[in-house]
Parts: sequence; structure tokens; C-alpha cells
Amino acid sequence: MPQTLFQKVWDRHVIRAAEGATLLFIDRHLIHEVTSPQAFDGLRLAGRKVRRPELTYATVDHNVPTENQLDIRDPLSRRQVEVLRANCREFGVSLLDIQSGRQGIVHVIGPELGLTLPGLTIVCGDSHTSTHGAFGALAFGIGTSEVEHVLATQTLWQGARPKSLGIEVTGTLGSGLEPKDIILAIIRKIGTGGATGQVIEYYGPAIEALSMEGRMTICNMSIEAGARAGMIAPDDVTFDYIARGSRPYAPKGATLDAAIRDWKTLRTDDSSAFDRRITIDAGSLVPQVTWGTTPAMTVDITGVVPNPEDVPFASPDDARRALEYMGLTPGTPVEQIPVDLVFIGSCTNGRIEDLRTAASIFRGRKTAPGVRAMIVPGSEQVRMQAEAEGLDRIFTQAGAEWRQSGCSMCLGMNPDKLTPKQRSASTSNRNFEGRQGPGGRTHLVSPAMAAAAAVTGHFTDVRHLV
Amino acid sequence: MEPFVTHRGRLALLDWTDVNTDLIIPARYLKRIERTGFGPLLFADKRYAPGGAPEIDDPERHGPENPEFPLNDPALKDATILVVGRNFGCGSSREHAVWAVQQAGFRAVIAPVPGEGFADIFESNAFNNGLLVIELPQADWEMIAKASHTAPGRAEATIDLRQQKITIEPVDGIPAASLAFQVPESQRHRLLHGLDAIAETMAHEPEIDRYERSAPEWSLPSGVA
Repeated sequence: MPQTLFQKVWDRHVIRAAEGATLLFIDRHLIHEVTSPQAFDGLRLAGRKVRRPELTYATVDHNVPTENQLDIRDPLSRRQVEVLRANCREFGVSLLDIQSGRQGIVHVIGPELGLTLPGLTIVCGDSHTSTHGAFGALAFGIGTSEVEHVLATQTLWQGARPKSLGIEVTGTLGSGLEPKDIILAIIRKIGTGGATGQVIEYYGPAIEALSMEGRMTICNMSIEAGARAGMIAPDDVTFDYIARGSRPYAPKGATLDAAIRDWKTLRTDDSSAFDRRITIDAGSLVPQVTWGTTPAMTVDITGVVPNPEDVPFASPDDARRALEYMGLTPGTPVEQIPVDLVFIGSCTNGRIEDLRTAASIFRGRKTAPGVRAMIVPGSEQVRMQAEAEGLDRIFTQAGAEWRQSGCSMCLGMNPDKLTPKQRSASTSNRNFEGRQGPGGRTHLVSPAMAAAAAVTGHFTDVRHLV
Repeated sequence: MEPFVTHRGRLALLDWTDVNTDLIIPARYLKRIERTGFGPLLFADKRYAPGGAPEIDDPERHGPENPEFPLNDPALKDATILVVGRNFGCGSSREHAVWAVQQAGFRAVIAPVPGEGFADIFESNAFNNGLLVIELPQADWEMIAKASHTAPGRAEATIDLRQQKITIEPVDGIPAASLAFQVPESQRHRLLHGLDAIAETMAHEPEIDRYERSAPEWSLPSGVA
């Protein structure tokens, strides 16, 4: 029987399956400071150890200030970072700390370090773990009780094998369009719960044409459609990414050759193996902008703010609450919505290619009067690469801020926050109420669209600027 | 984990779809490193009047409640069964959302419809903490939502996990009703007996050892094999 990529990776990791419950082996466990303290406490209380510390890697990202990483002024943030350091020491877990040169957002550094590989199971106490699926890994977010379970046993209980959802992306992305537009268009089409209980595989010519960075952007937001995970079959683009650069934990030499032979079998045999399939045409997309408080509340840049009666996947009451929170009136052209702040970064769009794209829009232009633009590299490696390419100078000459790496304004756990009613164009992944700070109003866009909003002061069709 | 066998309690309704975990508990409260104290933080940015959200390190210190927020109806003070809209708990994986719901006094959450009521990670987190999450067919969910809406603070139900049955008590002309539900068998077993998943897994250690010995060399991080 033909199998999907997901089914192959799942089946390889089954230790035990009975009565609808499956015990899966976990190849990589990534940890950050926010969702792990209670898990380590649980181990201590029960007198348990970390079973495989050499498969467990930690970093600090959510609480880290991006103006000066060393200056954590909030005592609660500092405590959380220090607790992780102490836990890593006590349990023998490697920590990619500030000043190691390898710190960064957990989903940016996993691939950089060569920890993320095709065919692995990867978990982290963080929903955007789906990012790593871009390599053909089965990667998903877990809760703190599960973090404790993986620390203690290197395994995880799951239900029966989830269903497979095949999303074929045909055509070619037009100029000014980005992977972010593809994933926003997908969520808009299937809804925030459209893939609940399912694992998505993205495939088709528009996916194959993407770099690893672009594939990561797409898999990253699978969770925003409710998916358990998102995956893309590994190919030469994947193998090249793993083989090049400084990836200390990636296989090398003969081991890498053997790995690639194995990885080449990680493909969906036949699209009939998917439980469900949908298709979208990348060639017909225009830049996407979210208007509301879920990532499915999305319109074309050429569109208008919708009437509450016309919002898919939301009741008119839900839509009215979203409009009120966002301070928007139905019928307003999206291009007329002004922005106060532009945030370019996060595990969705904080990689080198995202910064290159943003820089291409900023080059020779200035941020509009009254607009603050923050450019936050996803990792210290990305920061150093961008500086080596001179991208930092393009940003600062345009009047944007060039910062250090961390989760930054994707969520309100560090000093980078929106103030109430402040409106952002953000390359992050969630436009939920209060996500970027209580009362803040978030519009999700691609890095190119964010840069375009920064230089014009309102949402702008970036196709006119490229 | 506290076992869940049967529970009779009052119903509270929050009829919003896509209630995400940032709404259930805003990210700043995730700076807490304890597993307790999350009750007052449930819906912190909705539940209190502007400026009144609790202190991160002292959740009992907060301002007055926002009377507009549906769960602040004084009649719902003792509610223990939360009735919610579709895709509850979407977004972030934070288990703190489950701790907040539980520590605010809820033993069970009921959403429509099978397969779409709860986000996947929230559902796993709930089962791992003994919070029973139930997905009902739309018509059944509407029945329980209607009872909650019509008789706030007086509508009650009994949940029997052994029988997988909810009994809505008659109230204000709404007749009694019995609704069937299903949770995965392995989760039901753990919940009924309050089992510790880690201890259960450790009983399978020889199988884990065997699996580990068969792992290909490339699957280990380079330099640590």
C-alpha cells in the first residue's frame, strides 16, 4: 500500500502500539526557558534523571531582551533564564546560551546546528516546533508534562496515527510574493481548525522551488491551521543545506552519504495515500494581510476590511469582536490602514533570507515619519551573517533598528511590546488579541510587505516597490 | 494526577470560537516557574477591569472584575463545567492554559464538534492533568449550551466517565437529557485511575532499550555518538 512521508517517519518511531495509543521514540528534544522549569521540578520530585541528555538541547529565547541580551532587567525573566541554566547544569543538558555565538530562537538554531534532520522525530515545549518539518522530520509542540515525559523516557505517548492532509501548491510565486503569502493563503482557505488532528504535507512545484528558509516559514505556521505537524519531503535543497556551512551536529562524510541514501526514501509514494488533499495555485496569489484576530482573518492587499457577516470560520459576533479590537471599519481598503510599528523577525521570518528580502525593499529608502521599524535576527548566527553582508547598515540607514536575536515582539515576554491600540505590521505568526502586548493590534504579513509598510507608513502592495 | 470518575457541577458558557491560549493566559504570566497560582490568571486580560490584571508574581493581587466578561456573572462563581466554542485552546502549547482552567475550579470543558472542539496540544495537556475535555456533536452541544445560557448558575450536569455519558439536570422548563460522548480509550483509562504516564512508560523500558540499539548512526548528533 502506498504510504505518505509522514506515515513512513511515524512508523519508523513506533516502540509500542496498542488500543489506540502509540509510544513513539523521540530523536531530538529542544528546550527553552519558558516551558521547562516545572518539568525539571517534576523530575527532581520523583528522583528521575534525563534519559538521553545527548539528544536534548536548550537555549534561551523568549525572555531575552534584544536591545542588549546581557541586560535582563525584569527580575522574573532573569529568574527564568537562570533556572534553565541551573537545570541544564544539574541534568547534564547542553545549553546554547547568550554569548555562545549559537544562541537564538529555538526553531532557528535547531536547523543551523544540524540537529534538525530528515526522518527524525523532534519535539519541543513550543507549538512552532512544526518548523522543523521543512526537513522531512516529524516535529511538533508538546506541553510541559510531555516535556517531563520525554526528559525521563525519550519517548512520548500519542494516540493512533493521525490522518495525512496533502496540500499541493502549484504554479510559480510572482515577484514580491513570498512563502508567507502561501501559508497565509492556505490558513485563510482551510481555517484555524482546518487541519486539527492531521499532519500536513506540502508538495508541488511551488514548494520544491523554495529554499529551506522558505519551507521553514510554511511549516512553521502549520499549527495556525490547527495541524499536529507540517512536513516537506527532503530533496537536494535539503541535503545541500545540511552538508554546507558550520553545522556541528550534522552527520558528515560516509555517515552523511548513508543518511542521504536513507533520506531519499522519505517521499510520499503516491498522492492517493493522503487521507485528504487540497490544491492551491501560487501563481494566482497576491500579497496577504491579516485584518483580524486569527490568522484565518486574512485578505488580499488589494482588498477591503470585510463585513462581519462575510467572515469565513467565524460567527458575526466573533467577527464584530475582532473588528472592534482591531479598531477597523468594514469597507476600508487595506492599503489605507496606517501602521505605527513594523516588526521583522521571529521563528516564522527571522532567517537570513527574510532579512535579505526586507533589506531589498529598505535599500535607498527611509522609514516613514512616525513609524518605528525593528529588525530582529532569529539567531546570533543570522545576525553575524547579516552583518557580514552589510544588511544591518541598509536597515540603520533607512532609520530602522538593528537588534540582537530572540523571540522579541512575537509575544509579550520581553521588553519588546506593543502599547495598547498601537498597530503593527509583523512578520510573526499570531495576530491574537494581546499577543504582542495587551491591547496591541497585529497584522501578519511577509517580510517584503512589512518593509513596504515601514517605508510608506501604511499597508502597501509591495509589488509596486520591487 | 487526581482521577476523574464522575462529577456533578454547574455549567458556565463562553460561546466564543477559536479561544486561543494567549487569551486563556497571556504570555507574561508564563514567567512563573511554579505549577500553582494560575487560577486568578485565567482570561486575565478579559476578566478584570482595565489596568486590573493580576501581578505576575502575586496573582491574588488584582483589580476589580470586568462585569462585561461572560464568566464574571456572579451566578457562575461555583461553576465547574465550562462550555466553550469550537477550536478551544488553539495556538501556543503552553500547559499553563490548562493549569489556569483547572485552578480556576473547572473539572471539565465541553466543546463542539468531534475532532474540532479542541486544539490538539491543549487536548493532550488537558488529559495529562486530569482535566476532562469532551467534544459533543453540534446538536448535543447546543442543548447543553442552551441550558447554560437559559439558567446561569442553576443549570447543572453530571458527567460519568465510566459510562461516557452527560446528564443535563432539568431546569427552567428545559427537560433532562442524556448525551453520549467518547474520549480515546487510553486517555479514559488513565483518567479513571489517575495514572502517572512516566511510571507507566518506564515499565516498557526493555522495549525502549531495544529501539535505541537499532537507531542508525546518522540519527545521533555528530560527535556525541
